Order: sequence, then C-alpha cells, then structure tokens
Amino acid sequence: MMQFLSPATIAIAAGLTIPPLIALYFLKLRRTVMPISSTLLWRKAIEDLHVNAPFQRLRSSLLLVLQLLVLLLAALALGKPTLTHEKNREKSLVLMIDQSASMGVDESGNVTRLDIAKREAGKILETMDENTRAMIVAFSDRATVVSSFDTDSESLKRKLNDIEQTDGRTTLTEAVALAEAYTQNMIIGGPTAGSDIEVQSTEAQPGVLLFTDGRVSDTATLSPQRLDLSKMEVVVVGERSDNAGIIAMDARRHYERPEVVQIFATVRNFSDRAMEFDATLVINDRHVDVQAVRMEPGRWESATGDAESSSAAGGESNDEGGDPNRTGESAVPARPAEANLGAPPGSMAAVAFDEVEFEGSGVVEVRLSIQDALPADNKAWAVVPPPRALDVLLVCDWCRPLDGALGSIGVTLSTMTTADYEAAPDDQLFDGDRSRFDVVVFNGHDTARLGIGNYMFWACVPRIDGVEDRGVIDNEVVIDWDETHPILRNINVESLDVYLWKRIRLPDRAVRLIEGESEDSTLLAYFTSGASQFLIVAFPFVFEEGGKPYANHGWPEDLEFIMFNDDAVDFLGSAVASRGLTGVRTGDPVTIPVPSGADAITVSRPDGQRETIPAAGAATVAYARTHDVGIYRVDPSLPGQDVFTVNLFDADEGDVAPTNSFTVGGSRIAARQGQVLVNEPIWHYFVLGLLVLSLIEWTVYNKRVYV
Amino acid sequence: MLLDPEFMTRLEQLELVSRKIFAGKMRGERRSRRRGQSVEFADHRNYTVGDDLRFLDWNIYARLDRLFIKLFLEEEDLHVSLIVDVSKSMDFGEPGKGLYAKRLAAALAYIGLVNQDRVSLYAYGHGLRNQLAGLRGRHLSHRMLSFLDGLEYEPTSNLTLACKHYAIRHPQRGIVILLSDFLDKGGYESGLRFLLGRDLDLYVVQILSPQEIDPPLSGDLRLTDVEDEDVAEVTVSRALINRYKHNLQAYCGGLRNYCARRGITYLFTGTEVPFDQVVLRYLRRRGLLR
Repeated sequence: MMQFLSPATIAIAAGLTIPPLIALYFLKLRRTVMPISSTLLWRKAIEDLHVNAPFQRLRSSLLLVLQLLVLLLAALALGKPTLTHEKNREKSLVLMIDQSASMGVDESGNVTRLDIAKREAGKILETMDENTRAMIVAFSDRATVVSSFDTDSESLKRKLNDIEQTDGRTTLTEAVALAEAYTQNMIIGGPTAGSDIEVQSTEAQPGVLLFTDGRVSDTATLSPQRLDLSKMEVVVVGERSDNAGIIAMDARRHYERPEVVQIFATVRNFSDRAMEFDATLVINDRHVDVQAVRMEPGRWESATGDAESSSAAGGESNDEGGDPNRTGESAVPARPAEANLGAPPGSMAAVAFDEVEFEGSGVVEVRLSIQDALPADNKAWAVVPPPRALDVLLVCDWCRPLDGALGSIGVTLSTMTTADYEAAPDDQLFDGDRSRFDVVVFNGHDTARLGIGNYMFWACVPRIDGVEDRGVIDNEVVIDWDETHPILRNINVESLDVYLWKRIRLPDRAVRLIEGESEDSTLLAYFTSGASQFLIVAFPFVFEEGGKPYANHGWPEDLEFIMFNDDAVDFLGSAVASRGLTGVRTGDPVTIPVPSGADAITVSRPDGQRETIPAAGAATVAYARTHDVGIYRVDPSLPGQDVFTVNLFDADEGDVAPTNSFTVGGSRIAARQGQVLVNEPIWHYFVLGLLVLSLIEWTVYNKRVYV
Repeated sequence: MLLDPEFMTRLEQLELVSRKIFAGKMRGERRSRRRGQSVEFADHRNYTVGDDLRFLDWNIYARLDRLFIKLFLEEEDLHVSLIVDVSKSMDFGEPGKGLYAKRLAAALAYIGLVNQDRVSLYAYGHGLRNQLAGLRGRHLSHRMLSFLDGLEYEPTSNLTLACKHYAIRHPQRGIVILLSDFLDKGGYESGLRFLLGRDLDLYVVQILSPQEIDPPLSGDLRLTDVEDEDVAEVTVSRALINRYKHNLQAYCGGLRNYCARRGITYLFTGTEVPFDQVVLRYLRRRGLLR
C-alpha cells in the first residue's frame, strides 16, 4: 500500500503546474486554415488512423497526456511516496519492543499493549527463514538487549515473551544505540550459551521494527550512525485514550509551622471526555483527607472533528472540580486558533492538602479513585522527613562573629575549640565514616580530621588532596563572582571590601564563586570530594600588622553576613534536610548513602522483590532499577533515609492515545495500527518514470506521428 | 478561349463513337435501328393493308405472287449529352479542374457538332442548372463555346439530383458524358443508377487536380471544405498522407469497378496532363473518339 509523507505538496505542485500546462496547450495549437475541394477523403483518412491506432482517443492529445503524466509524476515524487508492505526483505532484523508504562494499558480483557506488541513481533519471528537473524531490544527509559542476533526463532520467541511491563518512560535513544552497537559487531547466537560466533558482516543494514504505542519522547533528536531509521517499520499498538493521572506532586513542611505538611499534586485529564473522581490523601497507610476532582476533556477537537491531545503543559487549575453546571458528557472543546495549544481549559487540576498535621516521618500518598487506561499514574508518593533543625558544629578558637551569625539562623549549634576537636573521640564526631553533624564550620583551623560530611572553612583549608594553603594575597581586588549561585544570591559582593585573603590551590573541579586577579586568587570556592562538600572562605575576619589586629573587612557588621551564613549552611545541608531520598521519576537513579559498616544494601521493591547491592567500603551506592512506581525501602539505612518513592510524573506516558506519526532525525515515519509495515521510499521510481515519459514526449513531438 | 482554332482543326478529324445504335429525331449521318428511307436494303416483311405501295417489291410479287414490302436502313443523328460539374469543388487545383472540364466538354461538343450529332450541354451543381440542348451543326460551335465559358461555379453539388433531373427531362437515348471530380459526399452510385436506367451509352470522366492526387500539405491544419465548409483539423504526418492517398486510390478504384460492372466507360485524368494529349490520345485509345 502506497502512502505519501507529504500529501499537501502533491496538491500544491499539481495545482501550480497542471492548469497552466493545459491552458498553454490549448493556447499553443493555432491551426492554419487550408481550403480544400472536399474533406470527404480526409475525414476517412482521419477515421482510419484513429481506428487503426491503439489508444486512439489518447493519441489525439498524446502530447498533452504525456506532459500531464510528467507533471503528475513530478508532483507525486514531491509527495515523498512510500510503499507500505508487510514483506521482510532484510536478512537482519532488530525488533524494538516498548515496555514503558503506557504499554501497560489494558486494551481488551487483560490483554495489554505490550501483549499485543509481543504477539505482532512474534508473527515476524515466525516468518523468519534460516538465513534471517533477529535481535530483540526492550526499552522504556532504559534499553535492554533481550536477545542478541540469533537465527533460532523459537529461542527468540521465548525471550520475547519474557519481556516484562515496566512503569518507565519511553526513550528510544538508548535502544537505538544498543542496536547500533550490536549491528556494528554482529553476533550470531550459537546452539549453546557462550558459543556465540562473531561474523564479519558486510551485508546491508538490518531492518528495524519498532513496536510501540507511539508516545516516544525523543524520536526527533535521534541521530543514528549506522541504522537507517527512515526505513524503520513502526507498528503502533493500542486504541484506548481514556486516562487521567498525577503528573506532579510535592510534599513539604510548612516553613513556619514544621508540624504541618502541605501536599500539592497536579492532575491532568488526557481523555476526550470529562472526568469526575476523588483524590484521597493517605499518610502511612491512613486515610487523611479526600477531595472531589472534576476535569474537563483533555483533548482539543481537531479540524477533522477527531479529538487530539496537546503535550504542552498549561491551562487553568481547577481544584474544586470546575463548573458544576457542566455535565460529564460535555463535548470536546473546539480548537483555538493559536498554534501552541497547551492543555485544554479545565483539563488540569491542582489538588492541594495544605493543612495536614503530621509530625513524624513517613510516606504521603495521593490516590485517584478512577478506573482508567493507565493505573500507574493514579497514585503518587512523597517522603516527608521529620521536622528537625540542622546540626551545625562550629570549631574555632576565636568564634566571633561566626557564633552569633550561626546562632541566629535557626540551626542547632554546637561549639568546640580546635584543640577539643582534634582531641575528641571519633564516636563524638563521627558515625562510622560520616560526620555526626549536618554541617561543620571551621574558623582558622586547617585539619585532616574529616569524615563524610559538609564543611565550611573560614580562612583555613581542609588537608585533603588537591587543596593547599599558598600564603596571603594583599594587593588585589575582587574582579568576578557568580551572583546566581544559591550562596551568593542575597549578597552584594560589590560592597565587600576585603584587604587580604589566602592564596589557596583548589582542585580543578572547584567552583570559584568569588575570584581575585591572579591565579589561585579565590575568595570563595565550593567543591565536592567523594561524598563530602566543602565551602572555603579564603578571607579571615582579622589580620595582624605590626603586632596589632585589624579588621580585614566590615562584613560582620552587615546583615548580609548572617544571610550569607544562612544560605551557605542551607546549601551545604540541603542534601540532608530537604532532598535526601525523597523521590525520583521512573528510570532515574537513586543515590543511597551507606551506613558505616554496612557491606550491602537491601532494597525492597514495590512488587515485594528484594535486591541486595554490595556496598562494602562505599559511602554511597547508586540504584537504577526504578522502573516500577511505588515505595522502595532501604535496609540498612541512615536515619530518615530508609525509604524513597518512584513516581511516573510524565505527561507523555499519561497521554496514552496512540500516535501514528513519528519524526525521526528530521524525516517523518508513518505507522499503522497493529500491522507490521514497511515504509519504503519510492520517489526515485517516479523520477525514473518522469524521465522516460519526457523521452517519449520528446520523441512524439519530433516525429509527430499522431493525428 | 476554351479551344484554340488550330486545335479545333485537329478535332474536326475525329468523331464520337457510340457503342450502341440509337434512334434520332432527324435523319442524320448515323445508321439507325429504325427502318427508314436510306438506300441501304435491310430486310423484307409481309405487306399489310396501309403500307406504302412504293416500297412493294414487285420482283418478288412477279416471281412468287405474294406481296412483300422492302425495308431500308434508316440513318439518324446521334444525341450527345455533356454533363459538366460546376460545383465549387471544381474550382480547385492548379490547373483548375473546372476549366479542364469545360475545355474537355468543349472539345467533345465541337467534335459532335462537326459530325452533325445533336449535342446538348448541361451544367450541374445542386441539380441541373444550365443547359444548352439540341445543338447541331458546326455553325453553333460559337454558341456552345460561349455557353461553357460563361458557366459559373455553384456553391454545392448534388450528383444524384442532377442525374435524376437529366433522366426525367431527357427521354431520348444517346451518348452521355459526365465530367466531374465525383468527390460528392452523397456518393455517386445513386446518381449513376438513374442514368443506367435509361440505357444510355454512358461515359464517366473523373478529373482531379495534382493537389488532390498528391497533397502538398504539412503542419497543423484546419482543412475547410469549399462547398459545405466542413472542417477537419489535422496534423499532417507521413502516415496521414499515405492513408489519404490510399483512400483516394480506393475511391477511384471503387468508381472504376462500379462503372465496369455496369457497362459505363470510366475515364480518369489529372489536370496536370496536357489537355490535347487527353483528347487526341487518351480518349481515342479508350474508344470515345475515333
């Protein structure tokens, strides 16, 4: 079956060329009038030639017909015709199976889109001959090689059936990269495991078959090196589009009343009908609150009368269910004239539970009581930490004005002299390898006694690799600073008049927040080392000259000094206080801190499976198998970091209506519902036909062997 | 001038030949089928009451005692009718078919007049138009020539109608010479059938111009029929010219065969053939002249 990727071009080209040709043709032929004695024999001759000539009706206007055909072929060639057929010609096939969240939509009687995709892919494998080899890649936000190139169709089908549903998002880049890697070094599976035979592959590129519901977020940015994705066959599965889901959620404690938790969730309707349902707040498996949500249709009415969605976010909030006068059968809204549509009005709603008293720590869950196509986005979770202030240790022999500033910013401040710090037992300062304090501030004390933690050094340096005190700079001025950094965003650095500061060699990765003129002339720097963070302030509060102390700068008298300390401590301690293991989106990795002495971390997944991750000697471990939404529990863990949540939060996945058109690397690829299709460009045949017709037209014109 | 004097002198040596013997109105120089009063004996028959006693054969009566009447051959004049096509299509070609036909008719008529035949001239377009009938004797040749010279071309032609008119109006038998191009869209068969019904000695002379025999045409043309203004749009090609020639040949062949099967003498000439050669050689060879 032939189709055109640019059908509008055909109409434009034909409309611009064919009418002028016809007009010119009739204008062109002006016959000379010639009187003769009788047309008796001429008419007979004309009729004889007509009768004897094949296609005599065409011959009367053969030149016109030929020229029309030439123009028609040119117009059709401009329309990028493709021939769609179901035949597999490639000897190598790459089957890419979408296993993202939207593929879990139950299409009919417990048959999900993934089941349909596997069934269609199975048909392809059944048609394989012994010379055809195929590879299977399953992908969501990550790609997995289910089977490398293999000629055993039965083995491939078994592996195909083992592909599991995930709640991940849909990205194709990694799948294409994997397929390319395997294509470059094609391996045929041997009869037994481990007996793969590498072959020298000089054959044509493998055919790529993509089985998806069409919601692939990154097709436009794909830039494959070896695979020709313009020939990619796309099999779109699924029909349902009725879905509403939570696309964003946050839970935080009230700034002034830490015992109060505020939960905000954004809900969006992706279907073409209005929806009405309840949003339930559950904290630690206890129902706390319920709100009714009413949402208008989430799809614009297209010019053809069909409903279509918009992936762009936007639209008004409606936390009270919208206009109560409107019914659940309300029509799809008419498409506005603007090109950037956004979501239709009323199709998004903000659900807010803003007065929930909860002093402990735990998991907050928002549930939508709705039966729709995609269950994965009907729940969202967030971890709420217990209310607590940051623990800050100030190590100093001369503590003013730091103690005053730190004491006024709402942290739990402990103070220790430098001698006490160095002499203190380990368990007083550290919990295993970690510092017991959220932030430790040193004033004028270089030290190597540092655990994993967050440190601020005033006029001193940590004795770690890459950092060295190289003396004093007293003849330079500040020339540059980063006023956008969170630590400096409330500070007017221009008014900071510093006389001298330390010349400190810093690691290359260090971020220089305030810089002087020369090399290593840095007044404020931030860097990380391992799991620790360091903020170094290079200028002291006082300096001595001639045995007398002088103030190095006038900052301590300024309100900005307190604000700077507040921002700096917040910045260093934020990883502990606010973010930690709260939550990620499906597919995103989670960094899990390892308690001291733990050799392994066990992660309990939402489906009940437990995974053990080796962690001996590591400060943190990364956990990446976050394909399923839900609550993940960590054991052993640091206090307050024993749980994290994984949410879908993806409008592309939530909009489960299948898409039949892709743009891959700049070229559009059409797809068909539930069929295995081959899109083969055939415009060059049209051009060839055009040339042949031009030749015939030229010959006819010159010979004039027609009447 | 249709005929120059020198050529007319040469024509005086010729006479029209009729393959049949017809009854004339007046005694002429040709043997008649009727028994008459010439000196040439023909036959006897029994006497019946009322017969002219001057023709009794007294010698037989003396010998056999029975009355017999002597019959003698009758000599009569010959009716020669020349029917000339003066339709618009005859005013075509170089040399023109119409002039050629008039000159041919003039020559034949002059031969008839010289030989005391009764010559009638007819012009036809859409039916019979002009006529100059019953001329006899050399002295009327000027009248004959001026009649032919003054013929105007008719816008259309209808051979059938012309033949029908002739057959109705002229019961006498004789030689009928029909001069035309016979490019009549109504066909020639029905017209000739009218003449055949009168048992005439019929001669058909088809005259075509070289432009009709080998058309010097090329390019995209709008061919217009000079008579009915019918239009044929053609782009002239070698194939078309060949087809036209083939059709012309078939048309002329068809006319020839039609005539041959019905005892009509068919003569064909192109206007590029010198007129004197046609009269002095071709018509003599074909037996119209002697």
